[in-house]
Amino acid sequence: MLLIHCPYCEDTLPELEFTYAGEAHIARPADPSAFSDEEWRDFLFIRTNARGPHYERWRHIGCGRFFNALRDTVSDRFLMTYKAGEARPTLTQEAAE
Amino acid sequence: MTNQKHQFDASPVLVEDMAPVLRLSLRVKPAHRASLGQALGLDLPTRVGARVAAGGTEALCLGPDEWLITAPEGTDLTTPARAVYADAPHSLVDISDREVTLRLSGPSVLDLLAACCPRDVAAIPVGSAARTVFDSATVVLWRDGPTDFRMDIWRSFAPHVRALLAQVQEEFVAGL
Amino acid sequence: MSRYRIPGKGRVDHSAPVSFTFDGKTYGGLRGDTVASALLAHGVHLMGRSFKYHRPRGAVTAGSEEPNALIGTSRGAGQFEPNTRATVQELRAGLVTESQNKWPNLSFDVGAVNDRAYMLFSAGFYYKTFMWPKSFWDKVYEPVIRGAAGLGKSPTEPDPDRYASRYLHTDVLIVGAGPAGIAAALAAAQSGADVTLVDENPEMGGSLLSDPAVQIDGKPAWDWVDAQLARLRAAGVRLMTRTTAIGYYHQNMVGLCQRLTDHLDNPPKGAPRERMWRVRAGQVVLAQGALEKPLVFDGNDRPGVMLAGAAQTYLHKYGVKVGDNPAIVTSHDSAWYAAFDLADNGARVAAIIDTRDVVRPDLLDGARKRGIEALTSHTVTTTRGRLRVKSVRVAPVRGTHVGTGRSIPCDCLLMSGGWTPSLHLFSHTKGSLAWDTTSQTFLPDRKTEECEIAGAGRGLWGYESVLADGAAAGLRALQGLGRAGHDASFTVANDRPGTGVSHTELPTDGNAGKARAFIDFQNDVTAKDIRLAVREGMRSIEHVKRYTTNGMATDQGKMSNINGLMIAADALGKAPPQVGLTTFRPPYTPTSFGAFCGYLRGDTFQLTRKTPIDPWAEANGAVFEPVAQWRRAWYFPKPGEDMHAAVLRECKATRASLGIFDASTLGKIEVAGPDAVEFMNRMYTNPWTKLQPGRCRYGLLLGEDGFIRDDGVIGRLSSDLFHVTTTTGGAARVLTMMEDYLQTEWPELDVWLTSTTEQWATVALNGPNALKMLKPLVEGVDWEDFPHMSCAECTVAGLPARLFRLSFTGEIGFEVNVPARHGLTLWTALMEAGKPYDICPYGTETMHVLRAEKGYIIVGQDTDGTVTPADAGLEWAIGKAKKDFVGKRSLSRPDIVAKGRKQLVGLLTEDGSLLQEGAQIVLDPNQPKPMKMVGHVTSSYQSTMGHPIAMAVIEGGFDKMGETVFVPMPDGVRKARITSTVFYDPSNERLKA
Repeated sequence: MLLIHCPYCEDTLPELEFTYAGEAHIARPADPSAFSDEEWRDFLFIRTNARGPHYERWRHIGCGRFFNALRDTVSDRFLMTYKAGEARPTLTQEAAE
Repeated sequence: MTNQKHQFDASPVLVEDMAPVLRLSLRVKPAHRASLGQALGLDLPTRVGARVAAGGTEALCLGPDEWLITAPEGTDLTTPARAVYADAPHSLVDISDREVTLRLSGPSVLDLLAACCPRDVAAIPVGSAARTVFDSATVVLWRDGPTDFRMDIWRSFAPHVRALLAQVQEEFVAGL
Repeated sequence: MSRYRIPGKGRVDHSAPVSFTFDGKTYGGLRGDTVASALLAHGVHLMGRSFKYHRPRGAVTAGSEEPNALIGTSRGAGQFEPNTRATVQELRAGLVTESQNKWPNLSFDVGAVNDRAYMLFSAGFYYKTFMWPKSFWDKVYEPVIRGAAGLGKSPTEPDPDRYASRYLHTDVLIVGAGPAGIAAALAAAQSGADVTLVDENPEMGGSLLSDPAVQIDGKPAWDWVDAQLARLRAAGVRLMTRTTAIGYYHQNMVGLCQRLTDHLDNPPKGAPRERMWRVRAGQVVLAQGALEKPLVFDGNDRPGVMLAGAAQTYLHKYGVKVGDNPAIVTSHDSAWYAAFDLADNGARVAAIIDTRDVVRPDLLDGARKRGIEALTSHTVTTTRGRLRVKSVRVAPVRGTHVGTGRSIPCDCLLMSGGWTPSLHLFSHTKGSLAWDTTSQTFLPDRKTEECEIAGAGRGLWGYESVLADGAAAGLRALQGLGRAGHDASFTVANDRPGTGVSHTELPTDGNAGKARAFIDFQNDVTAKDIRLAVREGMRSIEHVKRYTTNGMATDQGKMSNINGLMIAADALGKAPPQVGLTTFRPPYTPTSFGAFCGYLRGDTFQLTRKTPIDPWAEANGAVFEPVAQWRRAWYFPKPGEDMHAAVLRECKATRASLGIFDASTLGKIEVAGPDAVEFMNRMYTNPWTKLQPGRCRYGLLLGEDGFIRDDGVIGRLSSDLFHVTTTTGGAARVLTMMEDYLQTEWPELDVWLTSTTEQWATVALNGPNALKMLKPLVEGVDWEDFPHMSCAECTVAGLPARLFRLSFTGEIGFEVNVPARHGLTLWTALMEAGKPYDICPYGTETMHVLRAEKGYIIVGQDTDGTVTPADAGLEWAIGKAKKDFVGKRSLSRPDIVAKGRKQLVGLLTEDGSLLQEGAQIVLDPNQPKPMKMVGHVTSSYQSTMGHPIAMAVIEGGFDKMGETVFVPMPDGVRKARITSTVFYDPSNERLKA
């Protein structure tokens, strides 16, 4: 069972208080009708399935908020978490280690 | 007041049903937090888990835009809130009947909670609260004293929680 | 009676006799004994039979790594446990035990013919033997193999014991309370940190309990242990005995299984048998010590052959001499001390046989002083004796040459092939291991967790160095928490340092091809099996393991892995680290299922939600069904009624007059705020802008992929307030989905969502008399302006209510919502007021039938996550003028608009029979198999119209109206006609009363 830092509660809490919510930074387009069938297919179904650092979304039961996390899918370690709406942070060397 | 009772009760932990109170879910954006606080007569706290109380009304910050307000039954908080609605849009929903509240107290209460709460309950500061999980139920846990808690449970989840608590209480009675 | 017990010796209570039975015979033991120590005190070495060859076996260890002495234990009905280790099970008054793998009895066992035929059962025999003839597999081989498979008997009754669980958050968790663990705890407890020290044994002290002559800081070992444990207790350190760390998981989560009552004569009422602890530790110190390795030679598995360290433990902890006349064979110094201790306690040691050419002079002196014959550069080539070792054959070795042997009589043989650090928990963390060529063993290398490894667990030997290492590890753990502490040092007198060498199978003067030199005792894997596996092409240790089953027994190779690896590496001509070590996985020792389940069994197996009206349903004989987490009244049978009769009666009563239904489980969401209508427009397919306050509308929710996710009737209570209902099972999912869009896609909207599912109890009234009955109870509704699909806040029976006029039955219908605490009051008031109309309570089955007659879908039953609004005939629910809503773009995707999609239609069988839900549909029943399936039945019921009805999804169904399809079933093919899904009152006349 992992420990996850909630950026809203500013507390590190057991995984059982959290639910996974898919890959992060896949924004719904402002005007889906302007998307071609291929673009829309990619938006719906195509995911990076990263081996290693993966930007993903979690939700905390405690505060009810969705937030973003960078988790290494190989070591299953959270490298960082940050609030929804914040820009995708770049992976620093120390975080990766 | 129930603390008095504990001195005569040898059981290491006491589980009691609490009488219903007025319970409201307040949702408002940070920009309008102060206006709503003013209307309700409370300085709504901003740290998740923090509580304030004034004149029988208490507010618990559950999230960045979410507060749980409790007050004696019959208190009218809707009218003052409605008065600022145009300038401070919000949602104030009566959820008095959604949850029931148990009071959990006594020297072994931390062990009782640790039976089914993965969170470090001992680390919740006295005078604050947390929305967390107890087994498979989401609960709001209020820490009123070092060994004094309240637990708000969605009504239909309460029998399950009570049954688990009863099993743990039997462990205390058995001394193991 | 117990002639091998030394009076007054050991940590057992000589004044507290405890009797127990083994294979029906009563034995006397002492409080503090294990089953194994008590049997050994009576000279009983034979405790079981091995799995494959049914060879007689005795205890080979004195701890949890025991592979041989597995017994069944029983404490009463349902309290039988197979494969209990006799070396771990503590005595308790009235304990009933039995040996395993034998028939008719332990000393004469028919299954032992396998041993004579061992050539047939070599490595991989499963894969070679049962190939021919093919027809034998089902009738002969499989039944015989299944009969022989499995270790011990499974209990047949439910387990009446209770099991507990607990979370624990601690600063430092120390696993193992031997010298290193105790020293680590002393160090870690210095600066007020929360420290937890656990040990799998009933007593703390570890190897010191088997080495009482050692003195630490001037105190005899046992006194030192007592004093330190008292210090730790005083410092507030949590000391947990009988507690096994079974697994080490991410971020310093360690699972502990604590055995609470198995050792008690009379467990207190309500006490759990075991408790599973889920510990989150800031720092972990692993001080698990080392496990002694057997030597590998012919007959090393005979009862009476055991590890030298185990014999030393039986002597000092239990006051039991494992024999009068032991022989010792060793490649490590430690066994010499065992020999000395036994000799000093009256045993006549037959000989110490050491494989090494050079042995420390003080050890040789010690042997000489005691008159023990010491044979260096010697080996044991075989043992003799049927059910107990009677002699060993000893031969000199020069290099690989084995000289002429001689037989030495003995009544037990104590062996030591050196010690392996216990790195199981460390391996659970995926910490890497490094091969140490000096000690010929794997040692911990790169760590992945905040942990320290101390003492013999990282290859150290001798108490002084182990104590210092434990203290240093404890201090490092403390520093890892950002706290400070002092160094500690210990002075040790009578220390027992030691080194040794590692071997493959020992050389022999006999026929090496016939040697039965065991590596994995429990799975009967011999050195020869490993070499055979390599000859047959296995190269990786993982393949060798699976081919031979080495290390796959309940002890997970605690004693066999390194010996197996050394022999495999030798056969492959590679260095051991190149061959690799198999993966250790949790649990460290076998753990009961009960401990894993904890409280989640019986009534608390899973959460069961009940509505406020549930007590009435229970009191009135409802049959319940689970729906999502809820239990719902399914139907209300009257005496003598079966389900079909009850449901038909409920349906007819509702259609004829009035039915009442508990709909409290419906999900409810309050959507409130100035942007509520905008939010509703974006989420649901329907248009909401023009819906007036006081009116409701059926709402359809799609996923972004265009498939139906949920539906429900939604009331607009004011311009900025919607009362949304969802399906029972969809409530939480829908709220989460809405929150997701609101928080992450449209944070600019001023609208908020609150779950009110449990705020309201909901009672549905349906039937031609519903309006008539309800009207007098309602205040605050203008009935002139309250048509079908209206809603209002009002009072019903004097209770504050939200009243909806809607129908899920096709009859005039209402849903009355009152605050949950009033749910039962409302229900009883309505039942009373409904008496003149023969009001009939109905359950979910009737609800399903009535809605199906009207063609109303149930999301999740008639849809399966691949059904679009068009597929379900719900295109009317789409706001065509809306520019966007969730899922809209997908409705024009090529595969969504393609021809041949499965569409929801009605089905009527030609012979009037009832179809099965889930049955597959074909167009031509005579086509060759496999037939082309064009759809399946989604709903099927007996109806109020005298014939069954069904709904189905069928490829291109809308264009096949009136056509016949076929439903092949085991008892024949059904013919069915495709119809509209609306079977009853298609023009909705009944709603317009």
